Amino acid sequence: MVKVTFVQPDGSEETIDAAPGQSMMEAAQASGIRGIVADCGGNCSCGTCRVFVAPEWRARTGTASELELDMLEMHEERQDGERLCCQITLADDLTGVRVAVPKSQF
Amino acid sequence: MQTLAQLNLPHLAVEDAAFAADPVSHFREARKTNPWIAASDIGYWVHDYQAIRDLLSQDDKFRPAYDGIVEIMGARGTPWGRFTEEQLISLPPEQHAALRTTFARKFTPRFANQLRPMMRETITRMLDEWAPRERFDFEEFAANFPITIMFTLVGAPVEEIPGIRSSLETLGLAFSMDKSRIPEIHEGYERLERLVQRIIAERRASPDKGTRGDLLDLLIETGDEGNVPERQLQDLVIFFFVAGYDTSKNVLTYTLRLLLDRPDLYERCARDHEYCRKVLDESLRLFNPGSVPRFTDQDVVYRDVLIPKDTMIWFTLNISGRDETAFEDADTFDPDREIDPATRPIPFSLGKHMCLGQHIARAQLQEALHQIAQRLHDPQLAGEYGWRPYPGAWGLKGLPIAFTPTDKTPEPA
Ligand code: HEM
Ligand code: FES
Repeated sequence: MVKVTFVQPDGSEETIDAAPGQSMMEAAQASGIRGIVADCGGNCSCGTCRVFVAPEWRARTGTASELELDMLEMHEERQDGERLCCQITLADDLTGVRVAVPKSQF
Repeated sequence: MQTLAQLNLPHLAVEDAAFAADPVSHFREARKTNPWIAASDIGYWVHDYQAIRDLLSQDDKFRPAYDGIVEIMGARGTPWGRFTEEQLISLPPEQHAALRTTFARKFTPRFANQLRPMMRETITRMLDEWAPRERFDFEEFAANFPITIMFTLVGAPVEEIPGIRSSLETLGLAFSMDKSRIPEIHEGYERLERLVQRIIAERRASPDKGTRGDLLDLLIETGDEGNVPERQLQDLVIFFFVAGYDTSKNVLTYTLRLLLDRPDLYERCARDHEYCRKVLDESLRLFNPGSVPRFTDQDVVYRDVLIPKDTMIWFTLNISGRDETAFEDADTFDPDREIDPATRPIPFSLGKHMCLGQHIARAQLQEALHQIAQRLHDPQLAGEYGWRPYPGAWGLKGLPIAFTPTDKTPEPA
Protein backbone atom coordinates (compact mmCIF):
# COMPACT_ATOMS: atom_id res chain seq x y z
CA MET A 1 0.00 0.00 0.00
CA VAL A 2 1.07 3.56 -0.70
CA LYS A 3 0.40 6.11 2.04
CA VAL A 4 -0.71 9.52 0.76
CA THR A 5 -1.32 12.51 3.03
CA PHE A 6 -3.66 15.31 1.87
CA VAL A 7 -3.40 18.62 3.72
CA GLN A 8 -6.55 20.74 3.55
CA PRO A 9 -6.49 24.56 3.38
CA ASP A 10 -7.46 24.70 7.09
CA GLY A 11 -4.37 22.64 7.98
CA SER A 12 -6.22 19.41 8.74
CA GLU A 13 -4.62 16.26 7.36
CA GLU A 14 -5.88 12.94 6.14
CA THR A 15 -3.67 9.97 5.31
CA ILE A 16 -5.04 7.25 3.06
CA ASP A 17 -3.79 3.87 1.91
CA ALA A 18 -3.85 3.47 -1.86
CA ALA A 19 -2.98 0.64 -4.20
CA PRO A 20 0.14 1.11 -6.34
CA GLY A 21 -0.79 1.70 -9.99
CA GLN A 22 -3.78 3.90 -9.13
CA SER A 23 -3.58 7.58 -9.89
CA MET A 24 -3.47 9.88 -6.87
CA MET A 25 -6.79 11.32 -8.06
CA GLU A 26 -8.48 7.90 -8.10
CA ALA A 27 -7.16 7.17 -4.63
CA ALA A 28 -8.42 10.54 -3.36
CA GLN A 29 -11.85 10.01 -4.87
CA ALA A 30 -12.14 6.49 -3.50
CA SER A 31 -11.50 7.89 -0.02
CA GLY A 32 -13.72 10.93 -0.46
CA ILE A 33 -10.95 13.51 -0.02
CA ARG A 34 -12.55 16.93 -0.03
CA GLY A 35 -11.49 19.36 -2.74
CA ILE A 36 -10.36 16.87 -5.39
CA VAL A 37 -13.22 17.54 -7.80
CA ALA A 38 -11.85 15.64 -10.84
CA ASP A 39 -14.80 16.37 -13.15
CA CYS A 40 -13.24 14.79 -16.25
CA GLY A 41 -12.43 11.54 -14.47
CA GLY A 42 -8.67 11.65 -15.04
CA ASN A 43 -8.48 12.72 -18.67
CA CYS A 44 -6.32 15.77 -18.04
CA SER A 45 -8.96 18.04 -19.47
CA CYS A 46 -10.81 19.69 -16.55
CA GLY A 47 -7.96 20.90 -14.35
CA THR A 48 -10.03 20.35 -11.17
CA CYS A 49 -7.74 17.82 -9.47
CA ARG A 50 -4.94 20.27 -8.69
CA VAL A 51 -2.65 19.65 -5.71
CA PHE A 52 0.64 21.12 -4.45
CA VAL A 53 3.30 18.51 -3.89
CA ALA A 54 5.53 19.07 -0.84
CA PRO A 55 9.04 20.16 -1.94
CA GLU A 56 10.84 17.04 -0.72
CA TRP A 57 8.55 14.81 -2.85
CA ARG A 58 8.70 16.67 -6.13
CA ALA A 59 11.62 14.72 -7.52
CA ARG A 60 9.75 11.47 -7.02
CA THR A 61 6.34 12.57 -8.30
CA GLY A 62 8.10 13.62 -11.49
CA THR A 63 7.39 16.61 -13.69
CA ALA A 64 4.20 17.63 -15.45
CA SER A 65 3.75 16.81 -19.13
CA GLU A 66 3.30 19.63 -21.65
CA LEU A 67 -0.44 18.96 -21.78
CA GLU A 68 -0.65 19.14 -18.00
CA LEU A 69 1.31 22.41 -17.92
CA ASP A 70 -1.01 23.90 -20.55
CA MET A 71 -4.00 22.83 -18.45
CA LEU A 72 -2.60 24.37 -15.29
CA GLU A 73 -2.73 27.76 -17.00
CA MET A 74 -6.40 27.95 -16.13
CA HIS A 75 -5.50 28.96 -12.61
CA GLU A 76 -4.81 32.62 -11.93
CA GLU A 77 -2.30 32.00 -9.18
CA ARG A 78 0.47 29.64 -10.07
CA GLN A 79 2.41 27.89 -7.34
CA ASP A 80 5.54 25.77 -7.16
CA GLY A 81 4.89 22.06 -6.98
CA GLU A 82 1.44 22.28 -8.56
CA ARG A 83 0.26 19.17 -10.37
CA LEU A 84 -2.93 17.62 -11.63
CA CYS A 85 -3.07 14.58 -9.41
CA CYS A 86 -4.82 12.42 -12.04
CA GLN A 87 -1.46 12.52 -13.79
CA ILE A 88 0.53 11.16 -10.81
CA THR A 89 0.65 7.37 -10.73
CA LEU A 90 1.19 5.98 -7.25
CA ALA A 91 4.08 3.59 -6.80
CA ASP A 92 5.68 2.09 -3.69
CA ASP A 93 8.47 4.66 -3.64
CA LEU A 94 5.85 7.37 -3.16
CA THR A 95 4.65 6.07 0.20
CA GLY A 96 4.53 8.96 2.66
CA VAL A 97 3.99 11.57 -0.09
CA ARG A 98 2.37 14.81 1.12
CA VAL A 99 0.27 17.12 -1.02
CA ALA A 100 -1.77 20.22 -0.22
CA VAL A 101 -5.29 20.65 -1.59
CA PRO A 102 -6.11 24.17 -2.84
CA LYS A 103 -8.93 26.21 -1.37
CA SER A 104 -10.69 26.20 -4.72
CA GLN A 105 -10.16 24.40 -8.02
CA PHE A 106 -10.91 27.43 -10.20
CA MET B 1 -34.81 -3.73 -5.39
CA GLN B 2 -37.24 -2.45 -8.01
CA THR B 3 -36.80 -2.10 -11.73
CA LEU B 4 -37.40 1.24 -13.42
CA ALA B 5 -40.58 -0.10 -14.97
CA GLN B 6 -42.00 -0.94 -11.54
CA LEU B 7 -41.53 2.57 -10.18
CA ASN B 8 -44.33 5.05 -10.13
CA LEU B 9 -42.61 7.80 -12.10
CA PRO B 10 -43.89 11.24 -13.03
CA HIS B 11 -44.28 11.65 -16.79
CA LEU B 12 -42.87 14.86 -18.25
CA ALA B 13 -44.04 16.55 -21.46
CA VAL B 14 -40.49 17.71 -22.25
CA GLU B 15 -41.29 18.51 -25.85
CA ASP B 16 -44.02 21.05 -24.94
CA ALA B 17 -43.47 24.79 -25.19
CA ALA B 18 -44.86 25.22 -21.66
CA PHE B 19 -42.20 22.86 -20.36
CA ALA B 20 -39.39 24.75 -22.11
CA ALA B 21 -40.60 28.01 -20.55
CA ASP B 22 -40.14 26.70 -17.02
CA PRO B 23 -38.51 23.28 -16.69
CA VAL B 24 -37.29 24.04 -13.17
CA SER B 25 -40.83 24.10 -11.75
CA HIS B 26 -41.75 20.97 -13.66
CA PHE B 27 -38.77 19.06 -12.29
CA ARG B 28 -39.47 20.35 -8.77
CA GLU B 29 -43.01 19.09 -9.06
CA ALA B 30 -41.73 15.74 -10.37
CA ARG B 31 -39.51 15.40 -7.30
CA LYS B 32 -42.59 15.05 -5.13
CA THR B 33 -43.25 11.68 -6.79
CA ASN B 34 -39.65 10.58 -7.25
CA PRO B 35 -36.62 12.55 -6.03
CA TRP B 36 -34.21 11.82 -8.87
CA ILE B 37 -35.71 10.28 -12.00
CA ALA B 38 -38.70 10.95 -14.24
CA ALA B 39 -40.11 9.47 -17.46
CA SER B 40 -41.03 10.98 -20.84
CA ASP B 41 -41.91 9.84 -24.34
CA ILE B 42 -38.24 10.05 -25.38
CA GLY B 43 -36.55 8.37 -22.42
CA TYR B 44 -35.92 8.85 -18.72
CA TRP B 45 -34.63 12.04 -17.10
CA VAL B 46 -32.17 12.05 -14.20
CA HIS B 47 -32.51 15.51 -12.68
CA ASP B 48 -31.07 15.38 -9.17
CA TYR B 49 -27.62 17.01 -8.91
CA GLN B 50 -26.03 14.22 -6.87
CA ALA B 51 -27.57 11.48 -9.00
CA ILE B 52 -26.18 13.13 -12.15
CA ARG B 53 -22.75 13.40 -10.57
CA ASP B 54 -22.83 9.79 -9.35
CA LEU B 55 -24.03 8.31 -12.63
CA LEU B 56 -22.73 10.45 -15.48
CA SER B 57 -19.15 10.13 -14.25
CA GLN B 58 -19.30 6.35 -14.71
CA ASP B 59 -18.06 6.23 -18.27
CA ASP B 60 -17.84 2.43 -18.22
CA LYS B 61 -21.58 2.07 -17.61
CA PHE B 62 -23.05 4.64 -20.00
CA ARG B 63 -22.48 5.48 -23.65
CA PRO B 64 -23.53 8.64 -25.49
CA ALA B 65 -26.92 8.10 -27.13
CA TYR B 66 -26.71 10.41 -30.12
CA ASP B 67 -27.37 7.38 -32.33
CA GLY B 68 -30.61 6.95 -30.37
CA ILE B 69 -31.67 10.43 -31.45
CA VAL B 70 -30.97 9.64 -35.10
CA GLU B 71 -33.14 6.56 -34.66
CA ILE B 72 -36.01 8.52 -33.06
CA MET B 73 -35.79 11.06 -35.87
CA GLY B 74 -35.84 8.27 -38.48
CA ALA B 75 -32.65 9.59 -40.08
CA ARG B 76 -30.46 6.48 -40.23
CA GLY B 77 -28.31 6.37 -43.38
CA THR B 78 -28.70 10.06 -44.23
CA PRO B 79 -25.61 12.34 -44.30
CA TRP B 80 -26.72 14.06 -41.07
CA GLY B 81 -27.48 10.69 -39.50
CA ARG B 82 -24.07 9.35 -40.48
CA PHE B 83 -22.32 12.41 -39.07
CA THR B 84 -24.25 12.27 -35.81
CA GLU B 85 -23.41 8.60 -35.37
CA GLU B 86 -19.72 9.04 -36.23
CA GLN B 87 -18.89 12.42 -34.65
CA LEU B 88 -16.21 12.46 -31.95
CA ILE B 89 -18.67 12.04 -29.09
CA SER B 90 -20.30 8.98 -30.67
CA LEU B 91 -17.15 7.02 -31.53
CA PRO B 92 -16.43 3.67 -29.83
CA PRO B 93 -14.31 4.16 -26.66
CA GLU B 94 -10.88 3.43 -28.13
CA GLN B 95 -11.36 5.58 -31.22
CA HIS B 96 -12.80 8.37 -29.10
CA ALA B 97 -9.83 8.29 -26.74
CA ALA B 98 -7.32 8.24 -29.60
CA LEU B 99 -8.92 11.14 -31.45
CA ARG B 100 -9.46 13.23 -28.34
CA THR B 101 -5.88 12.66 -27.15
CA THR B 102 -4.56 13.61 -30.58
CA PHE B 103 -6.20 17.03 -30.43
CA ALA B 104 -6.26 17.68 -26.67
CA ARG B 105 -3.36 20.12 -26.68
CA LYS B 106 -5.22 22.47 -29.00
CA PHE B 107 -8.00 22.95 -26.46
CA THR B 108 -6.15 23.73 -23.27
CA PRO B 109 -6.46 26.91 -21.19
CA ARG B 110 -3.08 27.98 -22.56
CA PHE B 111 -4.29 27.76 -26.12
CA ALA B 112 -7.56 29.50 -25.18
CA ASN B 113 -5.61 32.30 -23.50
CA GLN B 114 -3.60 32.84 -26.67
CA LEU B 115 -6.86 33.43 -28.53
CA ARG B 116 -8.06 36.16 -26.18
CA PRO B 117 -6.72 39.12 -28.22
CA MET B 118 -8.51 37.77 -31.31
CA MET B 119 -11.69 37.28 -29.27
CA ARG B 120 -11.50 40.87 -27.98
CA GLU B 121 -10.94 42.22 -31.48
CA THR B 122 -13.89 40.23 -32.81
CA ILE B 123 -16.36 41.43 -30.18
CA THR B 124 -15.07 45.02 -30.47
CA ARG B 125 -15.61 44.99 -34.23
CA MET B 126 -19.12 43.62 -33.76
CA LEU B 127 -19.91 46.26 -31.14
CA ASP B 128 -18.63 49.02 -33.43
CA GLU B 129 -21.19 47.86 -35.95
CA TRP B 130 -24.14 47.08 -33.65
CA ALA B 131 -23.90 49.54 -30.76
CA PRO B 132 -25.01 52.65 -32.72
CA ARG B 133 -28.43 50.99 -33.28
CA GLU B 134 -29.42 51.66 -29.64
CA ARG B 135 -31.74 48.67 -29.66
CA PHE B 136 -31.53 45.19 -31.09
CA ASP B 137 -32.25 41.56 -30.45
CA PHE B 138 -29.41 40.55 -28.19
CA GLU B 139 -29.77 36.88 -29.09
CA GLU B 140 -29.11 37.71 -32.72
CA PHE B 141 -26.11 39.79 -31.77
CA ALA B 142 -24.81 37.01 -29.50
CA ALA B 143 -25.29 34.44 -32.29
CA ASN B 144 -22.82 36.23 -34.52
CA PHE B 145 -20.07 36.11 -31.94
CA PRO B 146 -19.16 32.39 -31.55
CA ILE B 147 -19.63 31.82 -35.26
CA THR B 148 -17.30 34.67 -36.19
CA ILE B 149 -14.71 33.30 -33.76
CA MET B 150 -15.02 29.86 -35.32
CA PHE B 151 -14.74 31.28 -38.84
CA THR B 152 -11.61 33.14 -37.78
CA LEU B 153 -10.12 30.03 -36.18
CA VAL B 154 -10.42 28.02 -39.37
CA GLY B 155 -9.94 30.84 -41.88
CA ALA B 156 -13.40 30.45 -43.45
CA PRO B 157 -14.76 33.23 -45.72
CA VAL B 158 -16.85 35.64 -43.61
CA GLU B 159 -19.37 36.22 -46.40
CA GLU B 160 -20.64 32.73 -45.67
CA ILE B 161 -21.46 33.46 -42.03
CA PRO B 162 -25.19 34.17 -42.60
CA GLY B 163 -25.75 30.92 -44.53
CA ILE B 164 -23.83 28.80 -42.06
CA ARG B 165 -25.56 30.50 -39.16
CA SER B 166 -28.87 29.43 -40.54
CA SER B 167 -27.52 25.87 -40.92
CA LEU B 168 -26.41 25.88 -37.30
CA GLU B 169 -29.76 27.26 -36.13
CA THR B 170 -31.47 24.34 -37.82
CA LEU B 171 -28.98 21.75 -36.56
CA GLY B 172 -29.41 23.12 -33.03
CA LEU B 173 -33.05 22.16 -33.25
CA ALA B 174 -32.28 18.65 -34.46
CA PHE B 175 -32.48 17.20 -30.96
CA SER B 176 -35.85 18.76 -30.26
CA MET B 177 -37.28 15.51 -31.64
CA ASP B 178 -39.53 17.29 -34.09
CA LYS B 179 -39.50 15.09 -37.20
CA SER B 180 -41.06 17.76 -39.39
CA ARG B 181 -37.70 19.53 -39.27
CA ILE B 182 -35.88 16.65 -40.98
CA PRO B 183 -35.73 18.13 -44.52
CA GLU B 184 -34.24 21.43 -43.29
CA ILE B 185 -31.85 19.55 -41.02
CA HIS B 186 -30.48 17.71 -44.03
CA GLU B 187 -30.16 20.87 -46.05
CA GLY B 188 -28.48 22.68 -43.17
CA TYR B 189 -26.08 19.84 -42.53
CA GLU B 190 -25.08 19.53 -46.16
CA ARG B 191 -24.30 23.23 -46.47
CA LEU B 192 -22.03 23.03 -43.43
CA GLU B 193 -20.37 19.85 -44.69
CA ARG B 194 -19.64 21.45 -48.07
CA LEU B 195 -18.05 24.47 -46.43
CA VAL B 196 -15.86 22.37 -44.15
CA GLN B 197 -14.76 20.04 -46.96
CA ARG B 198 -13.91 23.03 -49.09
CA ILE B 199 -11.88 24.95 -46.51
CA ILE B 200 -9.85 21.87 -45.62
CA ALA B 201 -9.20 21.02 -49.28
CA GLU B 202 -8.31 24.63 -50.10
CA ARG B 203 -5.95 24.89 -47.16
CA ARG B 204 -4.22 21.65 -48.12
CA ALA B 205 -3.73 22.95 -51.66
CA SER B 206 -2.68 26.43 -50.58
CA PRO B 207 0.95 27.56 -50.67
CA ASP B 208 0.60 29.06 -47.19
CA LYS B 209 -0.60 25.81 -45.66
CA GLY B 210 0.94 25.47 -42.22
CA THR B 211 2.15 29.06 -42.07
CA ARG B 212 -0.95 30.73 -40.68
CA GLY B 213 -0.78 28.89 -37.39
CA ASP B 214 -4.56 29.08 -36.96
CA LEU B 215 -6.65 26.23 -35.61
CA LEU B 216 -7.18 24.74 -39.06
CA ASP B 217 -3.43 24.55 -39.70
CA LEU B 218 -2.96 22.93 -36.32
CA LEU B 219 -5.79 20.45 -36.84
CA ILE B 220 -4.52 19.43 -40.28
CA GLU B 221 -0.97 19.08 -39.05
CA THR B 222 -1.92 17.18 -35.89
CA GLY B 223 -4.36 15.01 -37.82
CA ASP B 224 -1.73 14.10 -40.41
CA GLU B 225 0.82 13.25 -37.73
CA GLY B 226 -1.72 11.04 -36.00
CA ASN B 227 -2.90 9.42 -39.28
CA VAL B 228 -6.43 10.70 -38.71
CA PRO B 229 -8.57 9.83 -41.77
CA GLU B 230 -9.76 12.86 -43.78
CA ARG B 231 -13.42 12.05 -43.11
CA GLN B 232 -12.77 12.13 -39.35
CA LEU B 233 -10.94 15.44 -39.60
CA GLN B 234 -13.88 16.91 -41.52
CA ASP B 235 -16.35 15.53 -38.98
CA LEU B 236 -14.34 17.05 -36.19
CA VAL B 237 -14.35 20.53 -37.72
CA ILE B 238 -18.10 20.23 -38.43
CA PHE B 239 -18.59 19.16 -34.83
CA PHE B 240 -16.72 22.23 -33.52
CA PHE B 241 -19.09 24.46 -35.45
CA VAL B 242 -22.13 22.64 -34.11
CA ALA B 243 -20.91 22.16 -30.53
CA GLY B 244 -19.79 25.73 -30.00
CA TYR B 245 -22.64 27.68 -31.58
CA ASP B 246 -25.96 27.58 -29.69
CA THR B 247 -24.17 26.63 -26.51
CA SER B 248 -22.08 29.83 -26.37
CA LYS B 249 -24.86 31.99 -27.82
CA ASN B 250 -27.49 30.77 -25.37
CA VAL B 251 -25.21 31.21 -22.37
CA LEU B 252 -24.27 34.76 -23.37
CA THR B 253 -27.91 35.64 -23.98
CA TYR B 254 -29.13 34.20 -20.69
CA THR B 255 -26.29 35.92 -18.82
CA LEU B 256 -27.39 39.27 -20.19
CA ARG B 257 -31.00 38.46 -19.22
CA LEU B 258 -29.82 37.93 -15.63
CA LEU B 259 -27.82 41.14 -15.67
CA LEU B 260 -30.73 43.23 -16.97
CA ASP B 261 -32.19 42.81 -13.48
CA ARG B 262 -28.89 43.60 -11.79
CA PRO B 263 -27.50 46.86 -13.22
CA ASP B 264 -25.06 47.08 -10.31
CA LEU B 265 -23.40 43.80 -11.29
CA TYR B 266 -23.51 44.67 -14.98
CA GLU B 267 -21.60 47.88 -14.33
CA ARG B 268 -19.03 45.97 -12.38
CA CYS B 269 -18.55 43.68 -15.40
CA ALA B 270 -17.51 46.76 -17.40
CA ARG B 271 -14.79 47.60 -14.89
CA ASP B 272 -13.66 44.20 -13.70
CA HIS B 273 -12.49 41.52 -16.14
CA GLU B 274 -11.99 38.91 -13.43
CA TYR B 275 -15.47 39.55 -12.05
CA CYS B 276 -16.89 38.65 -15.49
CA ARG B 277 -15.55 35.15 -14.94
CA LYS B 278 -17.41 34.84 -11.67
CA VAL B 279 -20.60 36.17 -13.23
CA LEU B 280 -20.34 33.55 -15.97
CA ASP B 281 -19.63 30.72 -13.52
CA GLU B 282 -22.74 31.68 -11.58
CA SER B 283 -24.78 32.15 -14.74
CA LEU B 284 -23.72 28.68 -15.93
CA ARG B 285 -24.98 27.26 -12.64
CA LEU B 286 -28.39 28.90 -13.01
CA PHE B 287 -28.68 28.07 -16.67
CA ASN B 288 -26.88 26.10 -19.34
CA PRO B 289 -28.19 24.66 -22.58
CA GLY B 290 -27.45 20.98 -22.23
CA SER B 291 -29.28 17.84 -21.28
CA VAL B 292 -27.05 14.99 -22.37
CA PRO B 293 -28.38 11.66 -23.66
CA ARG B 294 -26.91 8.31 -22.68
CA PHE B 295 -27.71 4.63 -23.02
CA THR B 296 -26.91 2.29 -20.14
CA ASP B 297 -24.19 -0.03 -21.46
CA GLN B 298 -25.00 -2.67 -18.85
CA ASP B 299 -27.59 -3.18 -16.10
CA VAL B 300 -27.04 -0.35 -13.61
CA VAL B 301 -28.28 -0.33 -10.02
CA TYR B 302 -28.65 3.05 -8.35
CA ARG B 303 -30.51 3.93 -5.15
CA ASP B 304 -31.85 0.40 -5.15
CA VAL B 305 -33.37 0.75 -8.61
CA LEU B 306 -32.35 -1.50 -11.51
CA ILE B 307 -31.94 0.36 -14.80
CA PRO B 308 -31.72 -2.29 -17.52
CA LYS B 309 -29.04 -2.24 -20.23
CA ASP B 310 -29.84 -0.05 -23.27
CA THR B 311 -32.21 2.30 -21.44
CA MET B 312 -32.12 5.86 -22.78
CA ILE B 313 -31.47 8.41 -20.06
CA TRP B 314 -31.11 12.19 -20.27
CA PHE B 315 -29.00 13.98 -17.68
CA THR B 316 -30.28 17.50 -17.09
CA LEU B 317 -27.08 19.47 -16.69
CA ASN B 318 -29.06 22.58 -17.57
CA ILE B 319 -31.19 22.69 -14.44
CA SER B 320 -28.85 20.72 -12.15
CA GLY B 321 -27.63 23.94 -10.56
CA ARG B 322 -31.18 24.74 -9.42
CA ASP B 323 -31.39 21.64 -7.25
CA GLU B 324 -32.45 22.94 -3.84
CA THR B 325 -31.09 19.85 -2.13
CA ALA B 326 -27.58 20.71 -3.40
CA PHE B 327 -27.55 24.53 -3.55
CA GLU B 328 -28.62 27.05 -0.96
CA ASP B 329 -30.88 29.77 -2.36
CA ALA B 330 -30.66 27.89 -5.64
CA ASP B 331 -32.57 30.52 -7.62
CA THR B 332 -30.57 33.51 -6.41
CA PHE B 333 -28.02 34.99 -8.82
CA ASP B 334 -25.00 35.68 -6.65
CA PRO B 335 -21.64 35.72 -8.45
CA ASP B 336 -19.84 36.01 -5.10
CA ARG B 337 -21.30 32.73 -3.89
CA GLU B 338 -18.61 30.43 -2.60
CA ILE B 339 -18.30 27.26 -4.66
CA ASP B 340 -18.36 24.12 -2.53
CA PRO B 341 -16.09 21.54 -4.19
CA ALA B 342 -18.70 18.86 -3.50
CA THR B 343 -21.29 20.71 -5.58
CA ARG B 344 -19.27 22.31 -8.32
CA PRO B 345 -21.69 23.16 -11.15
CA ILE B 346 -21.50 20.82 -14.16
CA PRO B 347 -22.46 22.81 -17.29
CA PHE B 348 -19.75 21.10 -19.37
CA SER B 349 -20.68 17.53 -18.39
CA LEU B 350 -18.52 15.03 -16.55
CA GLY B 351 -16.15 12.23 -17.44
CA LYS B 352 -14.37 11.50 -20.68
CA HIS B 353 -16.82 13.43 -22.88
CA MET B 354 -16.52 16.58 -20.81
CA CYS B 355 -16.64 19.52 -23.20
CA LEU B 356 -13.41 19.72 -25.17
CA GLY B 357 -14.13 23.37 -25.98
CA GLN B 358 -14.83 24.50 -22.42
CA HIS B 359 -11.67 26.58 -22.03
CA ILE B 360 -12.27 28.30 -25.37
CA ALA B 361 -15.93 28.81 -24.43
CA ARG B 362 -15.11 30.29 -21.03
CA ALA B 363 -12.47 32.61 -22.52
CA GLN B 364 -14.70 33.88 -25.32
CA LEU B 365 -17.65 34.48 -23.01
CA GLN B 366 -15.50 36.37 -20.53
CA GLU B 367 -13.94 38.58 -23.20
CA ALA B 368 -17.35 39.26 -24.74
CA LEU B 369 -19.10 40.14 -21.50
CA HIS B 370 -16.36 42.54 -20.45
CA GLN B 371 -16.52 44.47 -23.74
CA ILE B 372 -20.33 44.39 -24.01
CA ALA B 373 -20.72 45.86 -20.53
CA GLN B 374 -18.40 48.71 -21.52
CA ARG B 375 -20.21 49.52 -24.74
CA LEU B 376 -23.93 48.91 -24.18
CA HIS B 377 -24.76 51.19 -21.29
CA ASP B 378 -27.85 50.77 -19.09
CA PRO B 379 -29.51 47.97 -21.11
CA GLN B 380 -33.25 47.48 -20.60
CA LEU B 381 -35.59 44.74 -21.70
CA ALA B 382 -37.43 46.17 -24.71
CA GLY B 383 -39.96 43.48 -25.58
CA GLU B 384 -40.89 39.89 -25.02
CA TYR B 385 -38.78 36.81 -25.37
CA GLY B 386 -39.54 33.12 -25.76
CA TRP B 387 -37.83 29.79 -25.18
CA ARG B 388 -36.20 27.21 -27.44
CA PRO B 389 -37.27 23.56 -27.21
CA TYR B 390 -36.06 21.96 -23.98
CA PRO B 391 -34.33 18.80 -25.29
CA GLY B 392 -31.18 19.72 -27.21
CA ALA B 393 -29.80 23.23 -27.03
CA TRP B 394 -32.24 24.94 -24.67
CA GLY B 395 -32.24 28.70 -24.12
CA LEU B 396 -33.94 32.02 -24.73
CA LYS B 397 -35.50 32.74 -28.09
CA GLY B 398 -34.92 36.41 -28.77
CA LEU B 399 -33.96 39.04 -26.21
CA PRO B 400 -34.94 42.55 -27.38
CA ILE B 401 -32.97 45.21 -25.55
CA ALA B 402 -32.56 48.99 -25.67
CA PHE B 403 -29.48 50.77 -24.33
CA THR B 404 -27.31 53.86 -24.56
CA PRO B 405 -24.21 53.29 -26.65
CA THR B 406 -20.98 54.46 -25.07
CA ASP B 407 -17.67 55.02 -26.75
CA LYS B 408 -15.12 52.51 -25.78
CA THR B 409 -13.33 53.77 -22.71
CA PRO B 410 -9.66 52.87 -22.55
CA GLU B 411 -9.04 50.06 -20.13
CA PRO B 412 -7.10 50.96 -17.01
CA ALA B 413 -3.51 49.81 -17.35
C1 HEM C 1 -20.81 27.69 -23.14
C2 HEM C 1 -20.53 26.95 -24.19
C3 HEM C 1 -20.53 25.44 -24.20
C4 HEM C 1 -21.24 24.56 -23.42
C5 HEM C 1 -22.25 24.88 -22.31
C6 HEM C 1 -20.86 23.24 -23.85
C7 HEM C 1 -21.35 22.06 -23.30
C8 HEM C 1 -20.93 20.80 -23.64
C9 HEM C 1 -21.43 19.59 -23.03
C10 HEM C 1 -22.47 19.52 -21.94
C11 HEM C 1 -20.79 18.55 -23.62
C12 HEM C 1 -20.96 17.06 -23.29
C13 HEM C 1 -21.97 16.40 -24.10
C14 HEM C 1 -22.19 15.01 -23.60
O1 HEM C 1 -21.61 14.62 -22.57
O2 HEM C 1 -22.97 14.26 -24.23
C15 HEM C 1 -19.90 19.10 -24.61
C16 HEM C 1 -19.08 18.33 -25.41
C17 HEM C 1 -18.25 18.86 -26.37
N1 HEM C 1 -18.08 20.20 -26.67
FE1 HEM C 1 -18.92 21.76 -25.70
N2 HEM C 1 -19.95 23.33 -24.87
C18 HEM C 1 -19.72 24.66 -25.12
C19 HEM C 1 -18.88 25.19 -26.08
C20 HEM C 1 -18.07 24.45 -26.91
C21 HEM C 1 -17.16 25.00 -27.89
C22 HEM C 1 -16.94 26.49 -28.12
C23 HEM C 1 -16.58 23.94 -28.53
C24 HEM C 1 -15.56 23.91 -29.66
C25 HEM C 1 -14.64 24.77 -29.86
C26 HEM C 1 -17.11 22.73 -27.93
C27 HEM C 1 -16.73 21.46 -28.30
C28 HEM C 1 -17.17 20.29 -27.69
C29 HEM C 1 -16.74 18.97 -28.07
C30 HEM C 1 -15.74 18.63 -29.16
C31 HEM C 1 -17.42 18.06 -27.24
C32 HEM C 1 -17.35 16.53 -27.26
C33 HEM C 1 -16.27 16.00 -26.39
C34 HEM C 1 -16.11 14.51 -26.39
O3 HEM C 1 -17.04 13.75 -26.70
O4 HEM C 1 -15.01 14.06 -26.06
N3 HEM C 1 -18.00 23.08 -26.96
N4 HEM C 1 -19.99 20.48 -24.60
S1 FES D 1 -9.36 14.80 -13.26
FE1 FES D 1 -9.66 16.27 -14.82
S2 FES D 1 -7.66 17.03 -15.08
FE2 FES D 1 -7.38 15.58 -13.51
